[in-house]
Amino acid sequence: MRNVRVFAALGLSAALLLAACGSDEDTADAGPNPSDSVCSADGPEIVIGAQAFGESAILAEVYGQALADAGCVVRQQSLGGYRDLVFTSFASGDINFTAEYAASALEFLNGFAGEASGEIAPTAAALQGYLAAVDLTALDASPAVDSNAFVVTAQTAERLGLSRISDLTEGLRLGGPPDCTDNASCIPGLRNFYDLDLSASFIPLDGAGPITVAALLGGEIDVAVLFSTAGVIAQENWVVLEDDRNMINADNIIPVLSQTLIDSHGQGFADLINKVSAAMDTPQLTELNRLYEIDKEDADAVARNWLISAGFIAG
Amino acid sequence: MEPAVSDISNLRGAMIEILNDLWGFVATADNWRGSNGILARGRAHLWISLVATALATAIALPPALILAHLGKAPVLSVGIANIGRALPSFAVIALVLPISISLGFGLGFWPTCVALVALGIPPIFTNTYTGVATTPSALREAARGIGMTSTQVLLKVEIPHSMNVIITGFRISAVQIVATASLGALVGYQCLGSYVIEGLAQPTRARDRLLTGAVLIAAMAMSVDFFINRAERHLTSWRSVLR
Repeated sequence: MRNVRVFAALGLSAALLLAACGSDEDTADAGPNPSDSVCSADGPEIVIGAQAFGESAILAEVYGQALADAGCVVRQQSLGGYRDLVFTSFASGDINFTAEYAASALEFLNGFAGEASGEIAPTAAALQGYLAAVDLTALDASPAVDSNAFVVTAQTAERLGLSRISDLTEGLRLGGPPDCTDNASCIPGLRNFYDLDLSASFIPLDGAGPITVAALLGGEIDVAVLFSTAGVIAQENWVVLEDDRNMINADNIIPVLSQTLIDSHGQGFADLINKVSAAMDTPQLTELNRLYEIDKEDADAVARNWLISAGFIAG
Repeated sequence: MEPAVSDISNLRGAMIEILNDLWGFVATADNWRGSNGILARGRAHLWISLVATALATAIALPPALILAHLGKAPVLSVGIANIGRALPSFAVIALVLPISISLGFGLGFWPTCVALVALGIPPIFTNTYTGVATTPSALREAARGIGMTSTQVLLKVEIPHSMNVIITGFRISAVQIVATASLGALVGYQCLGSYVIEGLAQPTRARDRLLTGAVLIAAMAMSVDFFINRAERHLTSWRSVLR
């Protein structure tokens, strides 16, 4: 009996050894080779911050997995909050990379000075100036745009005759992310561009997430702040109010990272990030959001499948 | 010595800054008005706490009185009531939310209320049960001896004997409920907790709101504690005669 066990153990060890040798060969074929990594081996770990909404998590995974596949050391850090936490986390060194929204980030950093516009190039250039002051930098903006959208149900739109943001009136219950009171494309924007103050009837919910959607569905709010790329809008046949006074700016996706990260990892690293940004566009981003929100796929799987289909990583 | 002194002065500076933030928010008249002003949110906070405490009392008190009076199921009943202590209120809210929406009860109030009732039941049940069950048997026997019925023993001996323990349970529930009602803000119930989530979403820009919420919630919980304490002394004033 004892002998049988010894033989079995030996056999198992041999099998494991063979398996180990086999897998070595496999990784040599398909996996990243340290010598052609886009990251410098002694550079800092890339810590990607994601805000508390699905799209931010998806984008963090898109950039993170592309970089990890190219040989970088990457860690995801969910922030549990919004833009305020992004910039405090950069300052404290808790993150050194994030996917931001050009116009909103600019207006956040300049204290709602109104420098952002519908044009991405000047918006990104102005953003770059504010970022440089805090040792951050932005890479190329993506063609993908996701801005705040003011959404009502078809019934509400018909009942109150709403089709444009300027049709909104005071007293309508607005539900949105808790930072809406200080977001340039939210309550302050409505006040500045539409002379409409919804702060008294604002209900803080979540960042265009399931609670906001449920609140609009259940009639708890009249107007929801969602993202223009949200899959649920088409699904529920909701009405996005037209921004007839151009409050909503060029919120293109733009990677923001610490200057140190660029300096230590170099051009190949920046090139890869720019290629990923360039490959993403608004319809694709909307589809990724739909997979996440409606099909309930995980952010990392959604990102991975997109990176495979876009040819960044092998399937 | 040097670093300790500067630490203390930094701490003092930070404290003063915090108090300034708080005062700046609370002293602004506009922050009290409107549907998301301090008054409206405070009222909503108090209302959900009242409803939840009343429901928890209605659910916990009668069975606790009857079971303890009969001396039935001491371990089982207290164990069941105590499930409410083990359930994380946040998880209860999250679980009830979709059910509440699909049944047409909506966001906010009811999901939060269910969690608060679950939280409020254990102290009321446990204290009531313990109070009644620990009535000295000599008292009970004397009551039976002078001809009281079983119901009279409960109403005239056991309940008065355990009144202060029962009220203490009620007070613990009420205070926990007031403090925890803040979670309602996470599912769209506008209450004092809404200031906390607005502050949490942007801790540097809305620190004044975060502090206001925290301080007002604590103040409300402490006031409730104080008033129930006063009421308890009032309700059991006969005790001072006995002593």
